[in-house]
Amino acid sequence: MGKHEIRLRRQRMSARGSDRYRNYNAVLKQHGNEKRIKQITRIFTFFLLIALIVIIFLAITRWEKKTN
Amino acid sequence: MYEKYFDRIFNYILRQTDDEELAGDLCSQTFVNALNNINRYEFRGFPFSAWLYKIAGNEVNKHYRKHKGNKIFSIEELKVRELIEQATDDWDEEMITRLLRYMNELPTEMIQVLELRFFEDKDFKEIAFILDMTESGAKMRTYRALDKLRTHFNLKVKYDG
Repeated sequence: MGKHEIRLRRQRMSARGSDRYRNYNAVLKQHGNEKRIKQITRIFTFFLLIALIVIIFLAITRWEKKTN
Repeated sequence: MYEKYFDRIFNYILRQTDDEELAGDLCSQTFVNALNNINRYEFRGFPFSAWLYKIAGNEVNKHYRKHKGNKIFSIEELKVRELIEQATDDWDEEMITRLLRYMNELPTEMIQVLELRFFEDKDFKEIAFILDMTESGAKMRTYRALDKLRTHFNLKVKYDG
């Protein structure tokens, strides 16, 4: 059970009242930025994974050479 | 999508924050999240707006978790009067004050259901989807809340709105 406070407001805000906060361009821009960050993170993770596989592969081949 | 749903989502958030600037920010974030995850949206028998309401609700909850404040429900006076007029002929200003005081004591989860049912005119199926609960759970919460209001204020509020 959470705590809350009930307040009374005159009326519902009209479309004209909320127009000040309507900014589709800013929303699109932020969406673009977040999409780019997601893409970069995905590419970075992919390369990190490849690097990890190569390191493990090299470590195994070195260990095999040593034991032989 | 933005033009069609902006007002409804903005007012829904404003009702839960009572801060226009904050509602504007959370509303923008809601639409950004919706755009980011639009490929995950699938039709499950609810209108598209229900999905937006769900994202908006999550954004509001995230805000309150981060700032650790009490949740605010800023309800429209006109709508409250309209609902009371429908429920009883015998009401006065003092009754509204007492009702608001009483609603402060109700669990937040009940207020959330009542808000969606009577201020946003959502059906129980949609309320259940928005609040991540079962339809019978949403019905039960509404029924209990209305039952309390009936016994305390002698209101004849219809369960189905």
